[in-house]
Amino acid sequence: MALLFDLQDVGFEYDGIPALRGLSLQVTEGESLALLGANGSGKSTLLRILNALCFPSRGSVSFGGQRLAPELLHQNGFGLAFRRKVALVFQNPDVQLFNPTVFDEVAFGPLQLQWSKEQILSRVTTALELMKIEHLRDRPPYRLSSGEKKRVALASVVVLDPEVLLLDEPTSALDPRSQSQIIDLIQEWRGAAKTVITATHQLEIVEDIAGRIAVLEEGVVAATGTPAEILSNQELLLRANLVHAHRHSHGSYEHSHPHIHSHSKHEH
Amino acid sequence: MKRGNFIESSVAGFVRALGRVLMSEEIANRRGLLQALDPRVRLMGLFALVLAVVLAHRLTVVLTLFLAAVMLALCSSVSILLLAKRVWLVVLVFTGMIALPAIFLTPGTRVAAFAGGALPITAQGLSAAALLIARVETAVTFTTLLVLCTSWTHVLKALRWFCIPPEAITMLAMTHRYAFLLIDTASQMFESRRSRTVGHLPRAALRRMTARTAGVLLSKSIALSDEVYLAMQSRGFRGEVHILSEFHMKAWDYVGLLAFLGAGGIAVWAGR
Amino acid sequence: MHIPDGYLSPSTCATLYAGAVAGWYGAFRRLKRTLLSRVVPLISVFAAFAFVVMMFNLPLPGGTTGHAIGVTIAAIVLGPAGAILAISIALAIQALFFGDGGITTLGANCFNMAIVGSLVAYASYRLIAAGASVASRRRIAAAAIAGYLAVNASAVVAAIEFGIQPLLFRDAGGTPLYAPYSMRVALPAMMIGHLTFAGLAEAVISAGLVAYLQVADPALLQATSGSRPGWEESSEAVRVTAKGQRRLWLAVGLLMLLTPLGVLAAGKAWGEWSPAEFVVAEAQSPVTAAGVPVGTVPAGMQRLANLWTAPFPAYAPTFMKSAAFGYFLSAMFGVGLLLSLSLLVQGYLARRRGTRYST
Repeated sequence: MALLFDLQDVGFEYDGIPALRGLSLQVTEGESLALLGANGSGKSTLLRILNALCFPSRGSVSFGGQRLAPELLHQNGFGLAFRRKVALVFQNPDVQLFNPTVFDEVAFGPLQLQWSKEQILSRVTTALELMKIEHLRDRPPYRLSSGEKKRVALASVVVLDPEVLLLDEPTSALDPRSQSQIIDLIQEWRGAAKTVITATHQLEIVEDIAGRIAVLEEGVVAATGTPAEILSNQELLLRANLVHAHRHSHGSYEHSHPHIHSHSKHEH
Repeated sequence: MKRGNFIESSVAGFVRALGRVLMSEEIANRRGLLQALDPRVRLMGLFALVLAVVLAHRLTVVLTLFLAAVMLALCSSVSILLLAKRVWLVVLVFTGMIALPAIFLTPGTRVAAFAGGALPITAQGLSAAALLIARVETAVTFTTLLVLCTSWTHVLKALRWFCIPPEAITMLAMTHRYAFLLIDTASQMFESRRSRTVGHLPRAALRRMTARTAGVLLSKSIALSDEVYLAMQSRGFRGEVHILSEFHMKAWDYVGLLAFLGAGGIAVWAGR
Repeated sequence: MHIPDGYLSPSTCATLYAGAVAGWYGAFRRLKRTLLSRVVPLISVFAAFAFVVMMFNLPLPGGTTGHAIGVTIAAIVLGPAGAILAISIALAIQALFFGDGGITTLGANCFNMAIVGSLVAYASYRLIAAGASVASRRRIAAAAIAGYLAVNASAVVAAIEFGIQPLLFRDAGGTPLYAPYSMRVALPAMMIGHLTFAGLAEAVISAGLVAYLQVADPALLQATSGSRPGWEESSEAVRVTAKGQRRLWLAVGLLMLLTPLGVLAAGKAWGEWSPAEFVVAEAQSPVTAAGVPVGTVPAGMQRLANLWTAPFPAYAPTFMKSAAFGYFLSAMFGVGLLLSLSLLVQGYLARRRGTRYST
């Protein structure tokens, strides 16, 4: 499969504080990648660089062979095509819901891409039906629950039919049912051969959403591998602050070992 | 002054603001005369009537317009009790307080005296006070009717037809949308601080706490705007604002528009 | 200070709308050249912040409470153009959505609070804080003083607008048609509340916020510090050019020109008399018909009449000699002067800034 994203030694700072320190990563077309890392490891920054919202101060990032730079994004042809093809879902849905109603929100992207009015109306309706939020059509964002907000955010990117989906902590702060709905959605996208890159720190969902994992630690990729390989590497997970170890006792027997506190039950 | 008062009044104010929003959406969805008209006609018509109120020189004309406002309310499923409580009483008290001294201070023909002749009451003073109160009451009634019977998003989109630049409309929409988020955030911050302070706070400390809460809110606001900017860019925004128009004028909308403008015109002519 | 519908005559409202539109246009053009797309969310969220600030009931020294506007911190963080738009938007939402302030008077409210307020706040802050480092205590004091001045400047302009209403707009019987209080009553009545509560509230919140930002987020204070470029002047932005300055001057000039036209549209019911008509028996009828006592010339009128006949030659039309017109004109020229002064300060500071570095 073709190489989609190529990051070489990417560096990025916020006000002098480094977020990415020489990160290299390759993403092939159609793969589903999970970016695993604790908060502060640079996941969100990486996603924004992949979405050409910020640009590296060092190194290079290429999409489909073309190097992403501000001038390139300003060109109408490439710029608008890129925005349609590569979609980012932010961690905080309030940031992404800035229009007066749900309908306006989902219609925002198509409006920017200057689709015709009829096209916009039909595609927006389809997207709302897909995410099962048709009944929220005229609702303002401040009257939505967090699960509903997430679905509106997803609808607003899905309406453009992107080829690459970048998801920043898609299941955080969601109730279990909403979480599983998101996971189902991701699996659908995987099935449709879309490229899905998910940033998360929740180990329990990675197997369902990704075929490959890249572990981020302090602004660089510490390791990559299949879920099986990565999840069994306790030392790596401990170092990357994805699991923790603490003492606890079973009766009179005290020990410490790395584990994650996830109490999701598996029933078959 | 009790520690709770200032915080409570601010939070209460916020909650009231939110409550008003919810009520307004509900009335906008009812069946009624105003609700049946195109939002642009509603906007233009009610603005025209407010203008007529301000242009009229005679109290009788203003009072007639007030009656018209009451009729519109009745025909639009807006409870008179609601208007009385929320609008008329408040305006009466505030404008009344402001207008009262005018009865004594306005030069003109004396008609009565207060306090044994020390405070002369003039006819002009009485007329001026009455006119002011009547004007304010009527104008606020019209604007309240507009807001109660129209969803906020429709108000915004209707403004498009008043030559207001789309960037301004987008900013109005975004401000409105994020005002509620900030109100929520501010309420939560107040609540959490209140639960953390024990006993009475000296006023200086209360001031510092307010400034700090405001400061945190400001930082969050600016950070939020940065993120929103990225989110907008991510969906293709490059500075040009596009607004989807969704209004269609029907026959009775034109009739309604003519009726509004006609009524306004007559009022201005009669009241000149 | 939000003026409701009914307090100001239509011509006053129209005049002030014209002034407000000039201010908005100027602010918009200036911001457009920096980075309009970035500005939309920033102004919006700041307007939302100002909206929330206006709802706070702040505890003040002395045991009272008062409401601030937030115009000063807006001018300090965003600069005057951004502050004009942000506060105007907050005021528009308050008027449309909460009935706080009228629709015919929205132009007036924006002119008083958003435009005059921003310019006075910005100019005073820059002048008083000039040269001090971003973290210095002087900036806190500058913010407090700027806030106090800005709110009171807004109040003065509003008081003037109120005060001229009975002068210019009465019916045939002498009843004031709009705000009924003359300058002598309106000015002190307005100012008392603002010199004490509102001015203090704005000073307290502005100083408090600057102090907070100095510690928590000093980058936000950079844009107006005069030392380093802030977000307004990033590499993607263009600094204020001479062309932009000229446009703002044009807006001010237009404003000063338009204000007399407002008087022309008002109607000539009251205030058209010259001092002579008060005392000369033959000419008294129009005055008595309006129900005003004759015999002596009102002292203020006499003074003003002399003031205004002096610069105008004998062949000027009668209405120009009336005290009312003179009053109105002087008030608006005063405002124009204030704005010009603010712009001058701005221009001077911008030029000084421009010589220090190149981009």
